[in-house]
Amino acid sequence: MDIWNNVVLGFSVALTPFNLLLALIGVFLGTVIGVLPGIGPMTGIALLIPITFGLPPNSAIILMAGIYYGAMYGGSTTSILVNAPGESSSVVTCIDGFEMAKKGRAGPALAAAAIGSFIAGTFATIMLMVLGPAIAQFALNFGPPEYFALMLTGLTVVTSLAGRSLVKALLATTFGLAFSTIGIDLQSGVSRFTFGNLEMLDGLEFLVVAIGLFALSEVLANLADMRQAVSERLSIKGGLWLTKEDWKRATPAFIRGTLSGFFVGGLAGAGAAVASFVSYGLEKSASKHKDELGHGAIEGVAGPEAANNAAAGGAMIHLLCLGIPGSGTTAIMLGALLMLGLQPGPLLFQQQPDFVWGLIASMYVGNVMLLVLNLPLVGMWVKILDIPLYLLVLFIILFSFLGVYTVNNSVQDLVLMVGFGVFGYILRRLDIPAAPIILAMVLGDLMEQALRQSLIISDGSLGIFFTRPISIILLMLAVISITNPYWKQIGAFFRRAFRPA
Amino acid sequence: MKAEKIASLVFTAIAAAYLVGTFLIKEPPLRQQMGPETFPRAIGVLMLFLSILYVRQQFQHQPAQDDEERAAIIGAEEKLGAFVDYKTLGIMLVLMLIYGLSFEPLGYPVATLLMFAAGIFVLDHNHLKRDLIIALIASFGIFFLFRFVLRVNLPAGTLDFLFR
Repeated sequence: MDIWNNVVLGFSVALTPFNLLLALIGVFLGTVIGVLPGIGPMTGIALLIPITFGLPPNSAIILMAGIYYGAMYGGSTTSILVNAPGESSSVVTCIDGFEMAKKGRAGPALAAAAIGSFIAGTFATIMLMVLGPAIAQFALNFGPPEYFALMLTGLTVVTSLAGRSLVKALLATTFGLAFSTIGIDLQSGVSRFTFGNLEMLDGLEFLVVAIGLFALSEVLANLADMRQAVSERLSIKGGLWLTKEDWKRATPAFIRGTLSGFFVGGLAGAGAAVASFVSYGLEKSASKHKDELGHGAIEGVAGPEAANNAAAGGAMIHLLCLGIPGSGTTAIMLGALLMLGLQPGPLLFQQQPDFVWGLIASMYVGNVMLLVLNLPLVGMWVKILDIPLYLLVLFIILFSFLGVYTVNNSVQDLVLMVGFGVFGYILRRLDIPAAPIILAMVLGDLMEQALRQSLIISDGSLGIFFTRPISIILLMLAVISITNPYWKQIGAFFRRAFRPA
Repeated sequence: MKAEKIASLVFTAIAAAYLVGTFLIKEPPLRQQMGPETFPRAIGVLMLFLSILYVRQQFQHQPAQDDEERAAIIGAEEKLGAFVDYKTLGIMLVLMLIYGLSFEPLGYPVATLLMFAAGIFVLDHNHLKRDLIIALIASFGIFFLFRFVLRVNLPAGTLDFLFR
């Protein structure tokens, strides 16, 4: 069968000693990043992109995927033991995880998180294997109008789920799009917003913006308030393994979390944080022990942890099959792949099967490594939290500068990065989310190209977007996602407007 | 919040400036269905519209209430605390700029060592000996790692004579 050939091909790539080592390093670094408070998967991947420069694309993505998974998993450890989520998708894990740890059941909580992540990660990988080629095949029918509509939808879905205020999130998106227009316009050769600066002709370097907005703004936020909260840290008492009763309760939660996380967070593009909250809600209504939730129920760890990993895996489907990132983290990965000269998308499955299947196989390997690596080493992960904050801050500064400088050997980039750090910090103070900026910046160029090509096909008429079925369905999805919070008001408006006089 | 009112006005000004900027984009020699200014102009209009909405929200008698329930569902990041230590923030920002500008003249290892040492001095100098050893490893260690293992040449600057 075709799939088997591909799987064999994939493992022949992933199981080379070098790639195995990279997967291990990726999972390890990712877990460190996930455990450290403040450095989420986005910051982590942005900071670590430069170490992939010397690598062939194949190995680079294997490393990045490992970091991504590790970071998704690592957050759960600190949630459970310190009640401090390493990233937003493990916020829910704190609720029951920390309660379990207080009752001396940190071991089973950590085990449930690890097993849940493993099951969900494996499921997502299998789905990627089964659905991926079909989705890519389907996407081959997409012309520029469909691509434009798809990117617009992706952008609006992510934006509508970012931050407290929709206006702020949308504003952030337009900032990102505006950044993408800086530099020479490749179609017409006209320079835009470069102010006569030669280095700007190439456009804003993606990594400058990503590291500035995520890593340096985090540094500045920490510097502005160095008074560290003294956190209560719980130790692991008793065994790590689940009892029979735990298994009985956790297994349905694993399954519910995996499925809801994969479909809501992954395929629908809602992201890992939303996936974990949805899964927690699901446990609250479906679990047999719903009254215990919030007081240390294992379901409250098992479900959401499975969900956020399933979502992370699902997001890879968008990235690989469509070439469209479904989240901030995958946007950064797309940016990195473009820097490596790879254009993910439906053609990738045909043109570079060793790349795609090598990655898929390495995701299996990575998941196994996570499970084997993390449970025995959990004591070490917690020790990472002993690194003093000021040293951590200095190291993030160091790696930010190192990373950005190695891209272009440009001092101007370093200064710009500091500027974006300040900008990112101001945005955080204003509670404006930064993830839409980076997503929009990555998609901006691609969107403009698709829009141009569409208008060439239709000879300048925007009607082309409304006469093609796939495009119009996608555009409707975009409208729904953006108006969703306002349905109540819109409904009220229409009721008033059409009230019989 | 007063600062946010100012910020919303600044964003509006930026959006307006961006939109004006799109009118200054040169006409390409070959005209296509969609010129180089179309996409930016659409973004500019959208940005201006949204920033005006933002201003309106800020200057309303009752600014739009944050939807905390929604924030909880989508896992929005926690807001930053009101406290800001401007002194530390300012010193470290200047330090970062100097670090960036001295990257080439001083060279990576020396610039990094100085930045790290200054950072330790500003932030916490209770463990000087330990931290300075870390700084040495972080500057010279990384430099040699990049040069000889990863084969990436970081600027040697003042130490250039060693590698001639």
